[in-house]
Amino acid sequence: MDPLSYQDVNRKILQTLSRPPRSYYWIVGLLFLGILWAAACWAYQILTGLGVTGLLHPSMWILYLVNFVFWVGIAHSGTLISAILYLFRARWRTPIARSAEAMTVFAVMIAGLFPFIHLGRVWLFYWIIPYPNQRTLWPDFQSPLMFDFLAISTYLTVSVLFWYTGLVPDLAAVRDRSAGIRRKIYGFFSLGWTGTDRQWHHYGAAYLLLAGLATPLVVSVHSVVSWDFALAIIPGYHSTIFAPYFVAGAIHSGLAMVLTLLIPLRAIFHFEKIITLKDLESVAKTTILTGLIVGYSYLIEYFIAWYSGNVFEKQTFLFRAFGHWSPAFWVMVFCNAVAPLFFFFKRFRTRLWSLFTIAILINIGMYAERFVIIIGSMAQDFIPYNWGFYQIRWVELSITVGSFCLFLFLFFLFAKFLPSISIAEVKEEITPQLRGKGKRDHHGA
Amino acid sequence: MAPEPALLGIFPDLDDLLTALRKVKEKNGRILTVFSPIHFSGIQEILGHKTSGVRYLTLIGGILGGTSLVGLAVYAHLSFQLVTGGKPVLPPIPFVVPFFEGTILLAVIFTVLFWILKGRLPRVRLPAAYDPRFSEDRFGILLACPPGQRALLEGVLRDAGAEEVRDVSS
Repeated sequence: MDPLSYQDVNRKILQTLSRPPRSYYWIVGLLFLGILWAAACWAYQILTGLGVTGLLHPSMWILYLVNFVFWVGIAHSGTLISAILYLFRARWRTPIARSAEAMTVFAVMIAGLFPFIHLGRVWLFYWIIPYPNQRTLWPDFQSPLMFDFLAISTYLTVSVLFWYTGLVPDLAAVRDRSAGIRRKIYGFFSLGWTGTDRQWHHYGAAYLLLAGLATPLVVSVHSVVSWDFALAIIPGYHSTIFAPYFVAGAIHSGLAMVLTLLIPLRAIFHFEKIITLKDLESVAKTTILTGLIVGYSYLIEYFIAWYSGNVFEKQTFLFRAFGHWSPAFWVMVFCNAVAPLFFFFKRFRTRLWSLFTIAILINIGMYAERFVIIIGSMAQDFIPYNWGFYQIRWVELSITVGSFCLFLFLFFLFAKFLPSISIAEVKEEITPQLRGKGKRDHHGA
Repeated sequence: MAPEPALLGIFPDLDDLLTALRKVKEKNGRILTVFSPIHFSGIQEILGHKTSGVRYLTLIGGILGGTSLVGLAVYAHLSFQLVTGGKPVLPPIPFVVPFFEGTILLAVIFTVLFWILKGRLPRVRLPAAYDPRFSEDRFGILLACPPGQRALLEGVLRDAGAEEVRDVSS
């Protein structure tokens, strides 16, 4: 494979910003229709009331909460890849970090929508914001709901700033190769970046600090989300392992989503030289680790249910495996804990079809996991009189599908309008041109 | 203030750029700016940049964010007391969450503001010395060019491997 030059890097990455084929517009149009349909369903729900969904005692947290936890989970790998792996100097993160960060931003935005969708009177959402008001009411800072509000809004802000910081030098590269209104827009967002020694000096120090600050945030966000459940006394929720269990699951699903999005992106834009098979293999190897942690957590939950001697815990976990929602449970176990084990074999992690298939399976499995925990635990808690099964209705199903459309829609726009791979960082990874050395050598070549 | 005469050298190779920087320093030339498409710490070392002060602003932001959000939580709990089950009105453990989130949030905002402002950004017009190739594959050195020094400085840049040298006003 020919080594890459700085010029090649610019050309290859910026070609994604050129005029796309007609099929691109069709796909974006279809996704937009999906979003419109979901928005119409939400409007219908607001006008008619939450009764149009399957929300009924005892299942008071329906698919909306499943979606919330799922999308927060997806949001985890972006910051993991861009921040934690940056601190560890893992070079394979470079070509995939930008897309993973974009994924994070879009996923957090979508996750943040679901608590609003779950509100009956959404126009009163501002009651959770702490500000002096004529009602003389203040939110309770002990409440997990408030924890969530703080954690998600902080994570969204930090993710956007971290993403934007990384984008600035690349936006300047786009500006320099654009004309007219495009040049003005990219010029505005690149802040007038010129790559001077002074700019790089402070930028480099700040980027390292941002990575250091984002790292504990990654761990904290899903821990806080897990406390929404763990602080309740419902069997199946009330567990001290929830924080690490949720964090590992979040990273597991996020890495799988990275593979799901990057494998087609790499093929469509011919990024084979930049996103090498070795980079994808590294993601797969990390998935083995997270899969093992998730599998261990599943086992430990059962062990604790048995070892505690608590009859309610025991029946909840028996219900999970053999009750009404048992298919979701076995899908969860197979997809999250068994399927990633295939990555132990080199042939499965070096072939695109197997990487993509297992990544899709993990995505399905992680959605099933959230369904099993949130819906299953509420359906069958302490007394049989209180038991009840949740029926999924078309309204929440449409909004769920709409959230996937919105995610893909935003990602398609991102791939079209912004450099989907960090130009400056990829250049740093290849050996710079030196006099007499001829062409540069690519790290993966 | 009248623009200062300056000389811009454009280099295709990084090692030539570093050689030129060292030679200019040896000749006591004044380096105004170095343009680069990548973050390369070797350039900063030659120029003798001190460690960036961004960390102090990050620390101040963190302390300010953490204390102000906990302050808000304390004020909210004292203003609207929810006395339930004998729990304290001001619980220390749950307040760790607002403290943590506030610390990270303001530390990050301060860090981002710092690098933008210290990098003398945002700027509406690009400097006259800037060449669009600096965001692709070329490096540049902008030198102050006092009267009578032009030939000497151009010679240094050319000898080091500059492919182009031109006059600009900084």
